[in-house]
Amino acid sequence: MAAWSCRLFRLGGSMIRGSHIAGKSTAGERAPCVLFVRSVKSSTWWDEHLSEENSEFLRKLVPEEYKSQTASKLCPLKDEPWPREAWQSGSRRVGLIALKLGMMPIWTKTGEKHVVTMLQVQDCHVLKYTPKEEHDGISAALVVGAKNVSPFHRTEDSMEMFRNAGVPPKQKITFFKVSDNAIIKPGTPLYAAHFRPGQYVDVTAKTIGKGFQGVMKRYGFKGQPASHGQTKTHRRPGASGPGGDPARVFPGKKMPGKMGNVYDTAHGLKVWRVNTKFNIIYVNGSVPGHRNCLVKVRDTVLPSHLEKNLNPPFPTYFADGDEELPEDLYDAEMFQFTEPSVTYT
Amino acid sequence: MAASRKAGLSGCSFIIFSKTARSNLQQRLRSTSTRFHSSDSGDGQPPKFMPPPKPVIVDKTQAEATQRRFLSPEFIPPRQRTNPIKFVIERKDMIQRRKVLNIPEFYAGSILAVNVADPYANGKTNRFVGICTQRSGKGLGATFVLRNIIDGQGVEICYELYNPQIHQIEVLKLEKRLDDNLMYLRDALPEYCTIDFNMKPVPHPANGEVPVNQLKVKMKPKPWSKRWERPKFKIQGIRFELTLSEEKMEEAKKWDQPWLEFDMLKEYDTSKIEKQTWEEVQREMSK
Repeated sequence: MAAWSCRLFRLGGSMIRGSHIAGKSTAGERAPCVLFVRSVKSSTWWDEHLSEENSEFLRKLVPEEYKSQTASKLCPLKDEPWPREAWQSGSRRVGLIALKLGMMPIWTKTGEKHVVTMLQVQDCHVLKYTPKEEHDGISAALVVGAKNVSPFHRTEDSMEMFRNAGVPPKQKITFFKVSDNAIIKPGTPLYAAHFRPGQYVDVTAKTIGKGFQGVMKRYGFKGQPASHGQTKTHRRPGASGPGGDPARVFPGKKMPGKMGNVYDTAHGLKVWRVNTKFNIIYVNGSVPGHRNCLVKVRDTVLPSHLEKNLNPPFPTYFADGDEELPEDLYDAEMFQFTEPSVTYT
Repeated sequence: MAASRKAGLSGCSFIIFSKTARSNLQQRLRSTSTRFHSSDSGDGQPPKFMPPPKPVIVDKTQAEATQRRFLSPEFIPPRQRTNPIKFVIERKDMIQRRKVLNIPEFYAGSILAVNVADPYANGKTNRFVGICTQRSGKGLGATFVLRNIIDGQGVEICYELYNPQIHQIEVLKLEKRLDDNLMYLRDALPEYCTIDFNMKPVPHPANGEVPVNQLKVKMKPKPWSKRWERPKFKIQGIRFELTLSEEKMEEAKKWDQPWLEFDMLKEYDTSKIEKQTWEEVQREMSK
């Protein structure tokens, strides 16, 4: 709004004076333009008014601070870590936010080829806990964030949640609806071992934006023939509905418009492999979103895969716990490259 | 094949260049190359640079050491905005597979024999011999296409290098051709693609350059599956003068795009990546 007010001000000034106003004009100098004057809140960037030494110091200090914050397993709050309860059927646990790395092929022990997407879990932390009553009366909510970003380009208000959790600011934040026995203390890091091979997950992400697209690309309409007398009609939608009885076009009619850049979910994707060293989940098939985009991963909602999601690490996988996991966890059917080649008998 | 396997390095997929041999060679090369001939100039002009004589080194003591470094093209990542961690992890898997199955060095134009596990074949394995027409794909999905003509019928099979069903990849004849992509063999006379199934492996020299076969292929009459005379394919290995007249060749040059060679945005310098990847692969394979 500061820029808008400045523009109005300049217009008024030039109209009156008839001269070009150069540079930043401060309020209150020109008497006839008093109407447009307001206290100028000029927008600035974070190190505009800092000396070079100070900005260098901040640039070094902040990443170190954040490293030490992420290094501490549970954030230093006054109370003890929350109780970890056992899994019961019907309980819902948290999900993760992961970065989509790319895709690669995978083979089963019988020689079939499948394609997997690699999702890397980078700095995923639980940020906030909202109890059932405050959220929607049905289930509690846990806010999760992933991928540290620099605090210099964020407002102070948005940083409040991160400060309370004791965690660096995150690029993407989502919330997960969670049953009461699966709540986790804010500040706990979440790892890829939260999901195990053989489980099924749903992945939600924003699809790649295609811009304004016609009806053939957007909805798969067939269009019209390329020749045989078609006049200027090859990719048009054609008819827009029935005739005189409704005498209108129904709302929701498929027409050209902006395509992509909306949230979409891929359901029922099998987890083939989990790499605990780099925190990578190998998920069957393709996932919406471009490479290096942040996706939301959670346990499947589909009823047909419920029996495969029994006894997961509940409420999540804790790195300081007792179980020692190997570097790579593979699904039982997956061919590991250390084995000899597949033979049929 | 037998000559190169004397030292019994069964697990190596590249021609391993052992450190001691290489350092000896470099020392010898250094001592000869730094001897510049300093001629005293009577006229006051700078001494004319005489290049040092090329050293002829015959390493008879070390049979396994070869001077040919070959990095399989699927290790070089494509120019994309992908996180490098993805390639690191993929390379680990590729090296693990290479420790189990020996994937030899080969190029488009070499003759290969592949043994694959097949549930529907007698003895459950299938053997196919053919000339490699192209190598494509990066990472674990790398493929190569073998072509052969069996009973008058041209057959092309695309094999994945890292498919666990492959039991053995054998190079019967290692050579390069004038092009990287030999798709035009589909429109060439059948004699260039018929390869005997029981062909004996030709022993190729383990050191030195890979022999380039300067063969120029005779084509069947037009129409071809693609217009191979067009400059975008950059084909050197076809005898165009037998099927195409001069006017047709001139007309084909109309589709030439000479500016593409100077397009800086299409430049992809892989020398550093190749070097790093080569060292990483050598380290991992020797573990």
